[in-house]
Amino acid sequence: MRVFLEQLINGLTIGSFYGLIALGYSMVYGVLKLINFAHGDFFALGSYLGYTLLVAGSSLLTARLGLWGGLLACTVAAALCVALAGLLVERVAYRPIYPAGRLPAVVSALGASVIIQNVIMIFWGPRYQAYPAALVPAARIEVFGLGLTVLQLVILAISFLLMGGLWFVIQRTAWGAAVRATALDRDTASLMGIDFNRVIRFIFTLGPGLGAVTGVMVGLYYRQISFTMGWNYGLKAFTATILGGIGNIPGAMFGGLILGVLEMLGSAYVSTAWKDVFVFLILILVLILRPNGLFGEKTAEKV
Amino acid sequence: MKRRVALSIAMVLLCAFCAFAGGSKEAGPVLIGLQGPVTGAWAYEGQMAKQSCEIAAELINQKGGILGGRKVQIVVEDDAGEPKTGALAATKMTGNRNVVASVSTYGSSICEPASAIYEKAKMVNIAYGSTAVRLTGKGLQYFFRTCGRDDSQGMFFAQAVPQKFAAKRIAIMHDNTAFGKGLAENARDALKPAIDAKQVEIVYYDAITPGEKDFRVPLTKMRETKPEVWYFTGYYAEAALLVTQAREIGIACPFVGGNAAINDEFVKIAGPKLAKGCYMTNEPLPSDLGTAEAAEFLKAYKAKYGEIPSSPWPVYAADAVNVIAYAVDKAGTTDGTKLAAYLRDKVDGVSGITGKIGFTDTGDREGVPFYLYVVDEQGKIVISK
Repeated sequence: MRVFLEQLINGLTIGSFYGLIALGYSMVYGVLKLINFAHGDFFALGSYLGYTLLVAGSSLLTARLGLWGGLLACTVAAALCVALAGLLVERVAYRPIYPAGRLPAVVSALGASVIIQNVIMIFWGPRYQAYPAALVPAARIEVFGLGLTVLQLVILAISFLLMGGLWFVIQRTAWGAAVRATALDRDTASLMGIDFNRVIRFIFTLGPGLGAVTGVMVGLYYRQISFTMGWNYGLKAFTATILGGIGNIPGAMFGGLILGVLEMLGSAYVSTAWKDVFVFLILILVLILRPNGLFGEKTAEKV
Repeated sequence: MKRRVALSIAMVLLCAFCAFAGGSKEAGPVLIGLQGPVTGAWAYEGQMAKQSCEIAAELINQKGGILGGRKVQIVVEDDAGEPKTGALAATKMTGNRNVVASVSTYGSSICEPASAIYEKAKMVNIAYGSTAVRLTGKGLQYFFRTCGRDDSQGMFFAQAVPQKFAAKRIAIMHDNTAFGKGLAENARDALKPAIDAKQVEIVYYDAITPGEKDFRVPLTKMRETKPEVWYFTGYYAEAALLVTQAREIGIACPFVGGNAAINDEFVKIAGPKLAKGCYMTNEPLPSDLGTAEAAEFLKAYKAKYGEIPSSPWPVYAADAVNVIAYAVDKAGTTDGTKLAAYLRDKVDGVSGITGKIGFTDTGDREGVPFYLYVVDEQGKIVISK
């Protein structure tokens, strides 16, 4: 039982990363019906920016704000930079070709993904980078007999806070209402005075920003980052999006968590070598029984 | 009239230049290909291989080149460490008619499809890091390798490791790549006599997925089997994460990696504190080679790049260049079929950076030694005493 609980927390941690990245896919898909393949690379970019900020600014920030304060400042700064990058990519790679339909935009997204990945490689080099161990909080605590790191708990808490916060923004604020309205019917929403381009800018600030926060957390948690990591996490997050129902915000969050736990179950109780087979088998079953994903049909409003 | 003279002079000059261009082509450089992971997840290895091959070519050229003074030049095709890109790279390499032979490549799973393409094009290809056994078991005529095979490494593990740690409970973990899985299977097969005699027991045998970052789930599962030594037959990126996470969840048994698991990057990512005392079964590192050729090569490499290669593989790539150049020079041909026959039958005990080079009938290197290495206090990788 103790081992199972430990494994469950492991699975949830992996799953919350998938969920946070999946949100970015889901929001863009909801509004634009575009699968933004560059999203995984925003996540990687955030991870690298966080790394540089942390290494370069550690003496300054950590002295002023303490270890946790310094981390927070770096994370926020990285998120802002990546949000800017998101806006730029939207402006350059997507907006000029919206009129051409969906398929060219997907190809353009793949192109953006390749470019971001290579920009990271050129700036930071092809080697793996490691977040310095001294800058990562190493405190440990015991909870119900389980040895956990404080960092792990903080990451879990922040993930849930961010997911909840996003849900609140989308469901309870005027901005969120505009996003939902655009997702439902873009033309009618425009007639009601909602500026389509502003909604898109909003989405492309929020999604990559969230991706960047996830990137920094992944960097802190695993300490090792590589410029190709965006692809791997992007693919898993995309799977989570499909599992939860693409375009659906709670679906993306729970899709991520469920995927993490499924991976854990497959790995711990079937075989790690066959983990992905197990996970995708379940994904196929879900899609046969509920073609719109687990949460796709319940909510009328897709975002 | 004047114009006509000018025109004829121009024509004569043109012809002369053509002849000159044609003539210089004959004496132009001999192109040797390198297909390697210059970008992608193994970019670090790929770039060291590229630098090593270029140094090897420079040294050959300094000594007067081959085939009576022709220079050796390296043509690099990037395979990004991916089977698909590797097939493309091999196609491009074989499409370049001036390339006489190719050094290819680091990862076994990339080497496998590429070697089929080279075979079809009748181009000699010498792998420098692809150690999976089955590569030479398919009767390929043009495939060779300067590195050893996983089964000899697996055998070494079975003989040396359980005894050294007085370990009875052994965990083996691979990464589902052609290389990792092959080495894990070979280690398991080599342990079979000891298992049958009830001296040791394999308590855990499973694979992780490369490219992922969280291995706490399989590690927790492994911890519950209480292994006394743990053999991981994958690459350094995952090895570093595995060691970090294993120590965190309380696995204290010795870590032994395969020959791709530990290099400077491993020490950097895991940190010197955790890396200390991690073992690996390995071919001798460049600094432990001890041949005169190695000393010369490492000196030139260090002069140009400031450090020597941190893993064993790049020097095998350099030796592949050396042996190709040797065969082209001695056989006096750039024809693929003749070169392959020469390498197989005539190349025996040629001195290279990594020792004497010779090939078996299947294209394997003859006699490659293994050592048990360990990471010391300063994060240096040294032979374990």
